[in-house]
Amino acid sequence: MAEEPIKVGIISCAGEEIPEGTVSRLAVRRVLESLRPGQAVTLCLPLFLAGAEGEREFARNYPTITIDGCEKQCAKWGTETHSGPVSAALVVTDMLKEAGVSLSGARSGQRLTEADLAAVGMVAESIAEALDKVAVECEERQSGTAESSTSCACAASLPAGTLEINGKSVRIAGLPLIFTQCREDGLRVDDPEVSKRLLEIVRVYHPVDDHEERAYAAALRDAYAVFLESGQH
Amino acid sequence: MAEPANGKVLVIPCSGVGKVHGLMAREATYRVVEDLEPQASATLCLALLVKGDEEAVTAVRTRPCITVDGCPKLCSYKNVELAGGNIAESVRVVDAFKGHKGAQPGTATELEHDGRTITEEIAQRVAARVRALCAGEGK
Repeated sequence: MAEEPIKVGIISCAGEEIPEGTVSRLAVRRVLESLRPGQAVTLCLPLFLAGAEGEREFARNYPTITIDGCEKQCAKWGTETHSGPVSAALVVTDMLKEAGVSLSGARSGQRLTEADLAAVGMVAESIAEALDKVAVECEERQSGTAESSTSCACAASLPAGTLEINGKSVRIAGLPLIFTQCREDGLRVDDPEVSKRLLEIVRVYHPVDDHEERAYAAALRDAYAVFLESGQH
Repeated sequence: MAEPANGKVLVIPCSGVGKVHGLMAREATYRVVEDLEPQASATLCLALLVKGDEEAVTAVRTRPCITVDGCPKLCSYKNVELAGGNIAESVRVVDAFKGHKGAQPGTATELEHDGRTITEEIAQRVAARVRALCAGEGK
């Protein structure tokens, strides 16, 4: 299976009660859309915490950065509790304090002041720097130039798998890891939910159009069957 | 509008970070708790509640809650329910689109005109429910 560039998961607290939650949410969006497009994905924290196994499984297999608005660090806590150690954890209040920045107190994105928006920019730059660092560390580990780590998710190689969908070859990042995890979870290929389950996990990071759902589900089930039969690790 | 006897109504959005609907839920909530019914309503960090924070759990159990969810996964509703919360109403952003076919609400980062219009409708509906709760109707 061919290698695919590493993607990093970013999980933000987006805390509704505090202005720093709005800053964390907007900073993550800026990283995804402007600073490092295509290099990271985000997961909805409440969905992750509520037990969406697809999200949790991806956070286990991919390097993950958490962004928390306050010292309670709900995003970091949730990720480490359900998926394992994070690659980096940023806390907005700490970053603002260190930079001597004060927020206006606005929580709605429509009421942010110039100073608030500057704070969003600063936090976004820090996230982007953390993302770059994590990506470099992962590349070094993959090439064997860094000391090995037994616990960091980014130590894992992220091979892609290829599926045939409606006559097209489609690369799915981390597919062997997904299959491995499903096998470890005891998912059998004759399970009536196997297609649905695989599709649910894959589409967390890989967009699947509604009209192609059935084709993806069938291709995933077939590929999973081959994976199980081959005894791949 | 005075707050209900058992405390301010909690308006709890999902804030889904991946879609515009999460932003609409969040902005509608701020419109209610900051502009329309600031004396009668407040919001709460959903992640903190899911984490099991004692204060947050007590708040949703003792005060009327209105959940505002962006998508059909209903993270806010389900998490408040799991915490044993007192849900007076569940609002879904996707339902508010039914009267706005073809609307272009914006992105997960910024709302456009249609998005602001629909968000305002959601906020007015939530505010009306807050007023009803304060008047002793429903839970």
